[in-house]
Amino acid sequence: MVSFSGTVAPVRWLWLLAISACVIVPRSLDLPKNDATTVALLSGTLGHPLDNIARHPWFAVRRKGETLWVVYEVGGSGSEPDPFRGHHAYGDPILHAMWRGNEADRAAACIEKVAPGVKREIESDYTFYPGPNSNTFGDRVLRTCGLHASLPSTAIGKDWRGLIGGGVTSEGTGLQLETPLLGVKIGLKEGVEIHIMGLSVGIDLWPPAIILPLGPGRLGFADR
Amino acid sequence: MRAIVVAIGLVLTSRVAEAKRCSLFCELGRALQGGASIHYEATALTHVDDAPHGAVVDDLVLVGARVHPFLGLSDEIQYHFGFDVAWGATTGRGGFAYDMTLYPLGVAVRFGGTAFVTLGTGIGVMGATRSLDDAVLLPLEATVEADLTNRLRLLARARASYEAGAPARHDGAPSAPFADELEGMVGLRVGHHYMDHGFPSGNGYFLGVSYREFERTSYLGLTFGYEVDIGSPEAQRQKIHRKRAGHPLPEDSNLIAP
Repeated sequence: MVSFSGTVAPVRWLWLLAISACVIVPRSLDLPKNDATTVALLSGTLGHPLDNIARHPWFAVRRKGETLWVVYEVGGSGSEPDPFRGHHAYGDPILHAMWRGNEADRAAACIEKVAPGVKREIESDYTFYPGPNSNTFGDRVLRTCGLHASLPSTAIGKDWRGLIGGGVTSEGTGLQLETPLLGVKIGLKEGVEIHIMGLSVGIDLWPPAIILPLGPGRLGFADR
Repeated sequence: MRAIVVAIGLVLTSRVAEAKRCSLFCELGRALQGGASIHYEATALTHVDDAPHGAVVDDLVLVGARVHPFLGLSDEIQYHFGFDVAWGATTGRGGFAYDMTLYPLGVAVRFGGTAFVTLGTGIGVMGATRSLDDAVLLPLEATVEADLTNRLRLLARARASYEAGAPARHDGAPSAPFADELEGMVGLRVGHHYMDHGFPSGNGYFLGVSYREFERTSYLGLTFGYEVDIGSPEAQRQKIHRKRAGHPLPEDSNLIAP
């Protein structure tokens, strides 16, 4: 019988994390009240057999008092009642960021203005791998609208910048330099993330986690 | 080269000519068969049989990915290419370790849904700072993957490499006098097999035993990883088989033949 105690406690935690491939303290997928404008960034897994290595993001926007959400994404878009748990075709949804109130009003106005153009551009030049794809769309909208959040590492294509590109990260506290073969992201919150042909590995400083190109994309605390 | 291009052109032209309601790209899409195997894996090796002067590297840990697609107009014998990328560290005289190989040349023989045997060659680089000389590798790799049951899949590979640029690493594989280095892995994947929309595919975690020889030292260890495999639609392959056998399915049939 194996017992975990004393000095091996960290090993126990790592082991438990590894076998469950879980993210600690994930955000709730309960729909927020409609007493304020809400903007949410979510992602879900692709279908089999890519369900554990590739995710797809969407923005959900609901104005104050409305019951339906307007969804912005590549390959879809439209209105739906529950894009948190019931967004078609994509499994295991994760809520990465949510903006409410005045902040969400500004975010919603920007997404409504920017997203259709970015979507058209991406869809006309769409390449499943390495990009530009739906994850490139998510990252570009985040950066264009100044929404500080990150897509998970399994959102392959989020760091696509063409042959070479770079700038401030979507999280807003770091810098990144990208090519299709290699890329790097360094930041105060982002930690260090290395990209090898679209696959991401690294260490997220806040919230702390190991970044992996598998499952939810991290082993540790949920991103927020 | 020109002959190859002409041959491919003739094959495509003949196939396009067969199509009554299909554009060039559509017909090309129908004619192409393919598949791929993607591994994310971590390998930890420790020395088990030292060279006379002692092991240069005590332990080696590598983490990386292997992507090996295959593509062709035949449903059984196809062009295979791929790349392996792994980074890690050594212990003892510890340092950054890397092992990266590109396989632009290869052949894959597919059987069943996503089972295959491949042979590939190309060029790679491998080394570790402060312990293992950087070397250019000229590898020859054989891979076998096959579903044993609906949830179990056998993964096996062997690679013999010839070194360039690192004289100390020449003749470093005692069990393979014909090569400078040797590497192998046999593993078992536990996961799922799918047939969504006619595409045979599967995924799951695997655990394997790894063996490696370099610098006249033998290393044994474990490989843990995640694999995704996918192949072109079974229905399409069966259509071709039926057509060859003189019992073609209707052109618009998407059903798998009984």
